[in-house]
Amino acid sequence: MEVVVWAGWIGGLAIGLFVILHFWLMGKPAGCSTGYGNVCGLLSKKLTYYRQGEYSNPNNTKLWFLIGIPLGGLLSALGSPDTWHVSFDMGMYEAVLPQSDAAKALWLVFGGMLLGFGARLAGACTTGHALVGGAMMNPPSLLAGAVFFMSAMLTTQLLFNF
Amino acid sequence: MHKFSIFKSAKLFLISFGFVYRANFLALLMGVMFGYLMSHAGATTYDYHAKMFLMIDFQLMEVIATAVVISMIGVFLLKKFHVHAISTGDEVDFVKKPYQKGLVTGAFLFGIGWAMTASCPGTVPAMIGEGKIGAVFVLIGLLLGTMAFGVLQTFIAHNGQVSDTLK
Repeated sequence: MEVVVWAGWIGGLAIGLFVILHFWLMGKPAGCSTGYGNVCGLLSKKLTYYRQGEYSNPNNTKLWFLIGIPLGGLLSALGSPDTWHVSFDMGMYEAVLPQSDAAKALWLVFGGMLLGFGARLAGACTTGHALVGGAMMNPPSLLAGAVFFMSAMLTTQLLFNF
Repeated sequence: MHKFSIFKSAKLFLISFGFVYRANFLALLMGVMFGYLMSHAGATTYDYHAKMFLMIDFQLMEVIATAVVISMIGVFLLKKFHVHAISTGDEVDFVKKPYQKGLVTGAFLFGIGWAMTASCPGTVPAMIGEGKIGAVFVLIGLLLGTMAFGVLQTFIAHNGQVSDTLK
């Protein structure tokens, strides 16, 4: 699925304005990965960690934010010249990931587990730490953003070059 | 009980429903916008992640650098003029994520996941909207990972430290 990709600075400008708009409308920083905690809280009543504190009301704005994202992706794909279709092609990653579909799926599930667990252990994901935390010049967020980047770079280098 | 006609009560229901959930509807709208922008910025295209980490193409670096600079200016202005938020009516809360134990470890694990899947929690739903099957598996993994952290925290809250159980 090919989508139209804007020039870097236009995309950055739009996302920067989006972050400001989010602050102004919602009155709090934008975040993605916290919404997954709400989903987990809704899935299991016994999971008290996702039923207290900032998760005390699982049906909150973070969850609705998360529900909106696929619609945005769909709109973007529909507005692109390529017709909308389902695909399991991963571009450059096809060369380094397992060749069979099942093994690729398992690889992605495992990677997703690292993303989910790591995001909660670090407190936020790329959006919360690198983008919004960077905009607020929050030292722990800058540290987390730097570690995200370094470790991803190291792993990608290992994947593609060794 | 109900003295109003069915149309009027339906109208009142819709108004009160909209009032109670106004912040949620705004958040939904924001989510749609976020997904749309992430997609057009190239963050949902696998190759840009690989190219960035292999230092071939800096599209995503350009995006995030511009976005951070622009939003920094915005945050400065919002703070300076004590702007009130639309949905809550209170002053915008610039709550900062605190340093927490395991931040570096968590960030390290997250980075490995980022490199393995070429996606992050914010772009995964947008990829699903674009019809990328791979993102469905990443989403399953994400929920499992988040769930695992919750189980661990719930366990610690009920049974003390994990290290105690290893004695």
